[in-house]
Amino acid sequence: MTKQALIKISHVCKAYPNVTPLKDVNTTIYKGDVISVIGPSGTGKSTLLRCINMMDPPTSGDIYINDEAITAPNCQLHLLRRKMGMVFQSFNLFNHKTVIENIMMAPMDLLGKSAQEAYDKGMELLRTVGLADKALNFPDELSGGQKQRVAIARTLAMEPEMILFDEPTSALDPTKVGEVLEVIRELAQKGMTMLIVTHEMNFAKDVSNRIFYMDQGEIYEDGTPEQIFEHPQRELTRHFIMRTKLMEEIITSKDFDFIAIRNNIDQFGKKYLLSPKSVHNMQVVFEELCVQTLLPYQGEAPNLQFRIEYSDKTNSIQIRIAYSGKAFELEEDMDMISYALLKNATTSIKTALTENGENEFILDIK
Amino acid sequence: MIIDKQINGSELTLSLTGRLDTTTAPELEAVIKENITGVTNLVMDFAGLEYLSSAGLRVILSAQKTMNKQGEMVIRNVNETINEVFEITGFIDILTIE
Repeated sequence: MTKQALIKISHVCKAYPNVTPLKDVNTTIYKGDVISVIGPSGTGKSTLLRCINMMDPPTSGDIYINDEAITAPNCQLHLLRRKMGMVFQSFNLFNHKTVIENIMMAPMDLLGKSAQEAYDKGMELLRTVGLADKALNFPDELSGGQKQRVAIARTLAMEPEMILFDEPTSALDPTKVGEVLEVIRELAQKGMTMLIVTHEMNFAKDVSNRIFYMDQGEIYEDGTPEQIFEHPQRELTRHFIMRTKLMEEIITSKDFDFIAIRNNIDQFGKKYLLSPKSVHNMQVVFEELCVQTLLPYQGEAPNLQFRIEYSDKTNSIQIRIAYSGKAFELEEDMDMISYALLKNATTSIKTALTENGENEFILDIK
Repeated sequence: MIIDKQINGSELTLSLTGRLDTTTAPELEAVIKENITGVTNLVMDFAGLEYLSSAGLRVILSAQKTMNKQGEMVIRNVNETINEVFEITGFIDILTIE
């Protein structure tokens, strides 16, 4: 069965005077997709949602909903917007209206439904989100989790083709997060197309068929939950998922400050409470592989990148050393003493190519 | 690294404190070179040694070779970390460690 494209995003850029959260976003969202949008703060996740429904029009680029350009000057924006519901972090309910009035208002005003129709539909939706008994309450009488469930019911009342969720649980007491996620999970099971900006990684993993990892002003990596969470392909995704702490040193001269780097390694170890043994082993890798082996091999204009990655999540340390020039054969060309020390400090040594095409050693530290 | 040097007749004792690595190994090499003539007993005291790299090992190996010709060399007060370095590099079979 061919997938039906619901939204196409083409070269979308959003620039503000001082910051450009979206540089070049391109993707297609298919009917039935449940996409969690993850990434560090300030990487344009919410901006993307606001561009999609034109609350914040893109600076350039195009967005198509069912092949109609919502970004075109002559488009029927209000009609296209109806296809997309939006659920906000801060609920945005009308506090002077009851729960059921909040839900009935838009269908009556915009879809031309009768009060009875809007009421019946509203009550049905409130039952779906488990809040039928709160129909006559005011939003202020509800908990944060209940307010957000009302906001979801209100969005559903407009019968959207897809729903955009902008951090729907971020403003909630941790004990109320589960009830909101449960409602979203049920919508996913019913086949609702959804784009969910979230920091709830386990939820994203469970409920989505796709994950967008956003960074650098783009959808940096788009993949299945399995790919993104278990086998991220790109560097920044990996750091984010593994909650990596980094230390990086670039060596471009034979007269580089050895003592400063050695101290930085010690400081890095102290900062993240790494064992003295691990710190010792990191020093061994730095000295034996970087300084004693690769640096002399680099000639007069060395270019070495030494990076320690400590994963808070797996409590593991990896060192990556990227270097310019030909690949170095450790077993054949490394001094025997240095090689013995290096082997003893590591559990595995692999070779790879960086994204820039440079040779790289990847060492797991004991 | 601090190198404390004591000469007692033909016995030379070098006590090392700190790290014997790429930057400090040349210092030890220089001290040995300056003082080795006529020495029949070279004692290296590693009680204060925290870290030993291949650069340091090469200086120790060179000293051992020299002393093989003119007397003997002993290494004392080796801690667990340094001893492991000697073991994995096979130096434990070459050196006299007390």
